[in-house]
Amino acid sequence: MTALARQTPDVAPEPEPQLAAPAGRRRRRRRTEGETRTITSAFERRRAGVRFSRAVLNGALLVFLLVVCLGPILWLAKSAITPTQDTLRQPLALWPHGVDWANLRTAWVDIDLKLYFWNTVVIAAGSWAVQMVVAVTGGYVLAVLRPRGGRIIYGLVLATMFVPAVVLLVPLYLTVLDLPFTHWNLVNTYWGAFLPAGASAFNVALVKRFFDNLPREIIDAARVDGCGDFRLFLYVVLPMSRPVLGVVSVFAVLAAWKDFVWPLVVLPDPAKQPLSVRLPRLAAVTELDVVLAALLISCALPIAFFLVFQRLFLRGGLEGAVKG
Amino acid sequence: MRIHHRRLSALATIASLAAVSVLAAACGSSDDDNESSGKVTITVEGWRPGDEQGTIDAVNKQAEAFMKENPDIVVKPVEWEWNAETFATQLAGGQLPTTFRVPFTDTKGLAERQQIADVTDDVNALPYAEDFNPSVLAAAQGTDGKIYGLPTDVYGVGLHYNRDLFEQAGLDPDQPPTTWDEVEADAKAIADKTDAAGYVQMSTNNTGGWMLTTLTYALGGRMENEDGTEASIDNDATKQGLEMLQTMRWVDDSMGSNTNFEWGTINEAFAAGKIGMYMSGSDVYNALVTTNQVDPDSYGLAALPLSDSPDAGILGGGSVAAVSAKASPAEQEAAVKWNDFYRERKNYDPDAAVADAEVLKASDQPIGTPTLPIFDQDTWQQVQDAIKPYVNVPRDQMTSFTDGVFDQQLVPEPAAHTQEVYGILDSVVQKVLTDENADIDSLLADANDKAQALLG
Amino acid sequence: MSSLLARARAAAPPVVFLLPMLLVFGLFSWWPIVRSFVMSVQQTNLVTDPVFVGLDNFRAVLDDPLLATAVQNTLWFALLALVIGYPVPLVLAVIMSDLRRARGLYSLLAYLPVVVPPAVAVLLWRFFYDAEPTGVFNSVLGWVGLGPVPWLEDPSWAMPSLVIEATWAAAGGTVIIYLAALVSVPPELYDAAEVDGAGVLSKVWHVTLPHLRGIMLITLILQIIGTSQVFLEPYLFTDGGPDNATLTVLLLVYDYAFANTTGGDYGKATALSLMLAGALALMSVVYFRVTRRWSE
Repeated sequence: MTALARQTPDVAPEPEPQLAAPAGRRRRRRRTEGETRTITSAFERRRAGVRFSRAVLNGALLVFLLVVCLGPILWLAKSAITPTQDTLRQPLALWPHGVDWANLRTAWVDIDLKLYFWNTVVIAAGSWAVQMVVAVTGGYVLAVLRPRGGRIIYGLVLATMFVPAVVLLVPLYLTVLDLPFTHWNLVNTYWGAFLPAGASAFNVALVKRFFDNLPREIIDAARVDGCGDFRLFLYVVLPMSRPVLGVVSVFAVLAAWKDFVWPLVVLPDPAKQPLSVRLPRLAAVTELDVVLAALLISCALPIAFFLVFQRLFLRGGLEGAVKG
Repeated sequence: MRIHHRRLSALATIASLAAVSVLAAACGSSDDDNESSGKVTITVEGWRPGDEQGTIDAVNKQAEAFMKENPDIVVKPVEWEWNAETFATQLAGGQLPTTFRVPFTDTKGLAERQQIADVTDDVNALPYAEDFNPSVLAAAQGTDGKIYGLPTDVYGVGLHYNRDLFEQAGLDPDQPPTTWDEVEADAKAIADKTDAAGYVQMSTNNTGGWMLTTLTYALGGRMENEDGTEASIDNDATKQGLEMLQTMRWVDDSMGSNTNFEWGTINEAFAAGKIGMYMSGSDVYNALVTTNQVDPDSYGLAALPLSDSPDAGILGGGSVAAVSAKASPAEQEAAVKWNDFYRERKNYDPDAAVADAEVLKASDQPIGTPTLPIFDQDTWQQVQDAIKPYVNVPRDQMTSFTDGVFDQQLVPEPAAHTQEVYGILDSVVQKVLTDENADIDSLLADANDKAQALLG
Repeated sequence: MSSLLARARAAAPPVVFLLPMLLVFGLFSWWPIVRSFVMSVQQTNLVTDPVFVGLDNFRAVLDDPLLATAVQNTLWFALLALVIGYPVPLVLAVIMSDLRRARGLYSLLAYLPVVVPPAVAVLLWRFFYDAEPTGVFNSVLGWVGLGPVPWLEDPSWAMPSLVIEATWAAAGGTVIIYLAALVSVPPELYDAAEVDGAGVLSKVWHVTLPHLRGIMLITLILQIIGTSQVFLEPYLFTDGGPDNATLTVLLLVYDYAFANTTGGDYGKATALSLMLAGALALMSVVYFRVTRRWSE
């Protein structure tokens, strides 16, 4: 729950000002997509002075991004297979005394990273499933079925967006410790990690807005054909919702992989903890080269995930919000 | 259409029922099945995070032996370590093992808040109940005089040093410093001639306060009066100690640039050869071996230098094996039995000590790390003699400590709100180590006020 | 009777679909919110029965000398994040928006740090911030004759160090948001500006930035709300130190509840949480007003 990183999901639905723009504007935008005109015009780009400063600026930016954004990760990859003393004495040298591949194995096997890796996968999968079920069914009821009182419920859901999750840390912990009515204690169970993740107003809002914009004619036609609520949901609404489901999914999985504070509190048993929670503890008692190998392994999957689904992250996130 | 509808709702019902039952299974406690077979199951503190496999094996072997002796009890050792950061969460979540060790400083507070169980009767049933050193047993007693656990290990703080770094700095590793002036001089020599920091002191997670208190005691001061009603942080010894740290940090530059250390991280840095000297409990060598794989040849343990003050002494502390307040009477009884078997008997009965050493030896665990008597000194000596053939720690590199410690006055930790007072002192230590112009007088006056507000 | 049944059956599907949302939000959002109000006026240690103590918890929090420190530090973090972290994504996005085919690669790079788990990022940066002259950053500074800087080891350096890492970790997300907004700049505006003889910089100043005004204000407010809840960085980097220089409000909440070794003070923790929530609610109102104005 990095303070600044939290903006990403919160902000995504907000480009509304431009997105929900009047139809005229929207048509205009469609036209521009063909033209792809940006700040500089084609004419300007041909001028030597502009061309030169653009090249310098873009080149400098590329170097900046490579060094600042990619650099630390490349450094981590290098140091994960470098012996501790080399990393300590010459952190920026490239393998002065050779490569030590064994670090990765030591991290994976000896400090049991494989267990925490698996735990993280389980938590991400479970949180994803819960978030999907809640968001999709909730969005469907609110946008398509529209029962009486739906607006009030939606208001209550949206209101939670403005109660910071971290402020609820203590009462939520005490709730999970002794669930109302059932008196179940979810601490140290994965349910304690999955279920609270489902209470994401952002997801519900995203899905509901998407469903709101589904062509009403199709839904009405399905109704006329005698389609009930379940059939409508399963065979009409869901198949049309793949874009928004993809967006909700990638952000749900990534958020679960990144989460720290809640699993720290709800999973005190080391054997159940995910990587985020376990790494800081292990880092204090493990040799540096192995720690760095463990860090590399821990961010490898999210990075791979990002590269595979980059369209959803970089464009889909916003387009999903746009259309929804 | 209708068929679909029904099938789907049936599916939904089944799915939600399944979820509920999984949930119930996940939440139900696992010892239900054992109750019915007449067995008591307890979880017990086993090993520290990061411990090597041998340590884990040794505990498991002991657990098996215990279960053979007590067929009605099932013991499950788990990874656990007392940690100021996580203890309260585990306590609130009911996620502590049935029995676990807490520092001497916390027994009274936990007992007062009814967080640990009164095990007076179970402890009194043990054969050696009458023989505890009264001042040690006091650490396991609440303000109500009842007993809340077994005091299982007692340490005195010593000065741990790296013999290799001493040699590299041209110092004699067999002549560790005996005064604080020598500590300062040796630290400077190490910092000047090697890559390592000469002397480092813990500063975070309440360990900063713990070690500042140690330093204060060594120089003849106290942090609280004996009954814990008056704070005396603003005293000359503490001031002198902080001034010494200030000199080493900012004038001699012998403490390195990184100052953010607690118990575990300072051990790791020491084992990695980055620290010349540091203070910690005399028994820390065990952790250095099992968790940090320290090189035994490089390890040295010296008695803590004391000033000429008649009040100068070494800080003594230890752990109490306490039992969760949520445990049933049968579980409490089983827990005390286990603690007797695994932790206490070997401190009293030479035969048990030998049996314990056998198991440790089989898993290649450290044997013979210096501790202090829990009973009287004769008992302690008998046990030490019995395990002598098994000792595998470099005792000849610890003679400065083992020869000197019984001549040193052992001073208990501050009596009231100990960890909170340590937390206040953490800031003082951090300020001195990170701000060259820290005003020690005002820091101490301020800390004293804060502590006094707690002691009330 | 039968009509009732029929009506119940007709109403059943919406309820079935509503159930997951109602249960999850009810148990894990609405109930804890209600509960935090109740707990803030109670004293409880989870073993013995809670005792009603009125506003004592609030009073105790306000009397805590650490509160002022924590509030100051949190504001300081927010301000630094504004100065260091706010302009960075804006500048990146404006330059990147003028790219054509390479824009994908640039945004891929910019977003990369966002997917690194924060705990991993902090542990990595903690090593970069090694205060010894041989530390990673200090080595780099050494090349140009600067440093060594006592990054996390000095009360006045610690907070900026935290903010730099937090900016690294989050800027990519904001870049993507700005980029999306920049796509919608009506091209006629650029055309018109060119007709008036505007150069590139002048177009950025008179067309691009004004177009971003709305979204900039939104990200600004969201950033302030986000930074006032900062927890992970001070918790993992410095644990609030040195000498409480990075103790934030949320870290204080956490300490009240979870860091006392003889049992947490949940009353004080929830009381402080509520006060923080109150401050954030105020900001949210401002945020709502602003977004409404900009969407009109």
